[in-house]
Amino acid sequence: MKIQMEQLSMTYPGGKQALRDVSLTLESPCLVGLLGPNGAGKSTLMKLLTAGLLPTAGGIRIDGQPLLKCEKQLKASLGYLPQAFGLYDELTVYQFLDYMAALKGICDSRQAVKEAIMAVNLKEKEKARIRTLSGGQRQRVGIAQAILGRPEFLVLDEPTVGLDPEERVNFRNMFSRIARKRLVLLSTHIIEDIQHVCDRLIVIGKGQVLFDGTPEQLISMTKAPSLEEAYLQLISKEAGR
Amino acid sequence: MSIWKQFRLELGRLLKNPWTWLIIILTVISPVVGLTLYRPLFSTSNMAYITTMTGLYLANPALAGGTVGAVLFAIFTLWELSRVKRSDVDALTDAVCSPMTAAFVRLAALLCVSIVAQWLTMLAWLPYTINMVGAVFDGTSYITVYLIFMYGALPLAILFAAAAWQFTQRFNLSMVLFILFGGLSLTVWGQNWQLCWLNPCVWAVSDDFSNRRLFWGVAYMRLTWLIALAGLWGISYLCIRRYGKGAVGSLCCNIRRPYRPLLAVLLLCCAGLFYVKQPFVDHSDLNIDFNYLFNVNYLENVTCSGRFADVHPNAETGELFGRAVFRLQNTGNQETEVRFHINPGYKITSVTANGKAAPYRLEAGEQLNVRELCIGLPETGDIELSIEYGGYPQEWNTQATAQGEPEISSQYMKLENTVLAPTPYDIGYAGDTLPASMDITLPGAMTPLLFGSGTTEFLKENPDGSKTWRMMGEGYNMIVYAGDYICEEIDAAGLKVNFYYARKHQPVMEAASAAESVRQVIEYCTDHYGPLQFYGNGTFDLIQSRVSGGGYAGDGASIADELDFTARNLGNNGKGGSAGEVVIHELVHQWWGLGNMFDPADVDGIWSSEGLTTYTTYRIVKELYGEEEARKNYVEHWQAEVADYYKDFYVRHPEYLSVLPEEYQADISNSLRGVRQYSEMALKILKAEELVGGEEAMDEILHNLFTRELNPEYPYLTYQEFLDACGLTEEELSLD
Repeated sequence: MKIQMEQLSMTYPGGKQALRDVSLTLESPCLVGLLGPNGAGKSTLMKLLTAGLLPTAGGIRIDGQPLLKCEKQLKASLGYLPQAFGLYDELTVYQFLDYMAALKGICDSRQAVKEAIMAVNLKEKEKARIRTLSGGQRQRVGIAQAILGRPEFLVLDEPTVGLDPEERVNFRNMFSRIARKRLVLLSTHIIEDIQHVCDRLIVIGKGQVLFDGTPEQLISMTKAPSLEEAYLQLISKEAGR
Repeated sequence: MSIWKQFRLELGRLLKNPWTWLIIILTVISPVVGLTLYRPLFSTSNMAYITTMTGLYLANPALAGGTVGAVLFAIFTLWELSRVKRSDVDALTDAVCSPMTAAFVRLAALLCVSIVAQWLTMLAWLPYTINMVGAVFDGTSYITVYLIFMYGALPLAILFAAAAWQFTQRFNLSMVLFILFGGLSLTVWGQNWQLCWLNPCVWAVSDDFSNRRLFWGVAYMRLTWLIALAGLWGISYLCIRRYGKGAVGSLCCNIRRPYRPLLAVLLLCCAGLFYVKQPFVDHSDLNIDFNYLFNVNYLENVTCSGRFADVHPNAETGELFGRAVFRLQNTGNQETEVRFHINPGYKITSVTANGKAAPYRLEAGEQLNVRELCIGLPETGDIELSIEYGGYPQEWNTQATAQGEPEISSQYMKLENTVLAPTPYDIGYAGDTLPASMDITLPGAMTPLLFGSGTTEFLKENPDGSKTWRMMGEGYNMIVYAGDYICEEIDAAGLKVNFYYARKHQPVMEAASAAESVRQVIEYCTDHYGPLQFYGNGTFDLIQSRVSGGGYAGDGASIADELDFTARNLGNNGKGGSAGEVVIHELVHQWWGLGNMFDPADVDGIWSSEGLTTYTTYRIVKELYGEEEARKNYVEHWQAEVADYYKDFYVRHPEYLSVLPEEYQADISNSLRGVRQYSEMALKILKAEELVGGEEAMDEILHNLFTRELNPEYPYLTYQEFLDACGLTEEELSLD
């Protein structure tokens, strides 16, 4: 899968410009880390890529096709975990994932749901009502619905929030495995995650791409001792402008 | 992905939600409101008019269930739709599925939940309804009433609520819009049968005969709204928020597929067409000009010497087709235009004069439930004018909120005058009378009854099982009742009385010994007060009719409303001590209460048909069963009722009654009026009986009043006339 963003701009109705002339190309297989301070435009970019928003200028092409023309195909091959999301509390984990599988149009939903439940380690809770789950377990249900049916393009916005360190590492590794064959866009504030698993790093600040390369390239470019230092230098330099 | 699977999962999800079941349970319970708080077909007064058993225990609960269920499902719809947004589930679902598809699937699932609620309601109420409605319970009516009266409202509420949500995306605002929409139906639109989507105009439902026209009318109204609201939902569907845009922005995006707005507009246009082209009610001028009917300028040179009609009511479609032949004489030696009246619902397919096509036109306007058909007659002297006509007969628009006639179904038919055949308007009879005959083809199980003088004979059985009957009568107009009637032949007062009642009502009639009561009343009243003016030549037909709010009488026949014979009415101890005695009471109304005996404008006074009728019933019971029985069941009952009446708070303080809400005021007033008319007046007549010198003296007074010469300007029997005849004053009859 190849996603091309051409001079993408997004201004909200209130006048706030969230993205400005962003041009990027994402191609599978790859795990792309998306870093940036709060309000930098990461979530907006993700919503644009999932057809949750339409850009005010520029365009997105999926395998050469304008996004609006292949929206249905995009949705069929998309796994998306937004930063804030809700679940149907009255359903069990299994039922909810089955429901989402139906929405995604997955043919063999039973197998896909079982696979996703195993992947997020919720086997014991598959028959539990969602209303009885803890915050971390709900987050895992969110991840499970995103990876349901092995989507070609996985967009994860802060997926490890609320997870304990061990789980975080497990999921990080899982995303890395998925990205061996598919395209994963991972937005997070946890630099360590990015450093360990991302093939490519995109840093966004004030709606613009500040850096696009590998984590190692960012470190060498800033001559910082660590990726975190390098990122902070990049952000503070941008803030100083 | 199949939308079907998505629907199944959405429905499954809804059915796993405890709130869904709460709404379903409340909907199942909601018909109870129709037994207590909201009874459009019922007056709480036990004396005044009450409705049929089906009306009381089926239609009222179903109508109430429809109203309450609609409100419940509107709230539920808004709750469910807003919940998706409120809980951010849409952040997940919209990413993988079009929000428009999701909205469609959610709507379908909500509609399906309402169907589940409806069937559970019908199952839950079945034993109760069977038990309460009793012998006249009918399974088909049960299902039909619940589906049309109750279920009809639920999808409308769901569609409107969903549309409001899709337009506004705000729960509170959508709720306000729904309240306005429902409120309009309950208030401003309440008297417009096509607009009152929530509370259809249903005034009575028949126990013993069919309700086809009523059911079709309500179903048509609900279908019109269903199409309109589907169109509205279709427009709102285009406003489903997408790509982070508002209503207008989303509309611009969603409208790109032209079939969506086109379909919505098409549905709205269809609903408009349904509204305008409704087939049930005519468009008569509401400024009624009765002179039009009574001051007719008859043509000098055209007369009619005979009429024949071949009439084919279609029990399946409710239509009627026929051919009417008139023998006319045109003595003017010139072409002349004659005018006929036809039912506004009919179309003319052919007009011939002596076998040749004659020019004709239908006038555009309608009045008094007729339309004018103008036909050019040739100058030939003797003309056989043949008119072929047919269609779905329309009711007069002044009766739009109380539809039910003319009924054409496989169980019952009531066909009157222009519904049967075109009627000449400006053509006089060639002689003193006009011989008329009509062949009518009816379903095999039906017995036709020609109201008034005339004869009916069976002509032939047709290959399709239908039967053709020939009716011979006089004049342009005929009234025909047809149904699955039982005829009891009774010899009474030298008359052969044919008592016709519905086969369905047989157990109730037999339990009340109705035929015996008929004999007793006719003998007693004929002997004491004189024969009925409308007795025929040795025969008299007493016909039970479909509920119509009253009876009427003519040459040799009288109509008794089925309301008189409902199990509930027969158990009304205000009218009699037993079912048989209530039958007596209702039949005594043939003497005291038919036609213009009492001024219909004076319904609120103490003087009505009920006082004399109740008194006469008491006298008959006294003669039949002895003084003790009559005193216990009548006089003591009246005395107790009147004693309670004088102690009643609202009687002593009427100023408090006037500050109550109108509906309570009406209920209390009806109840109090009932006591005055049934009990207080009966006691006053009993007192008058003592003061005039006993029963014989009173019988003579009443005989003279009954057979008095009428004043054509005010033909009603007044209280003052009664007092004058007794030689008493109102003060002398005071019960204090």
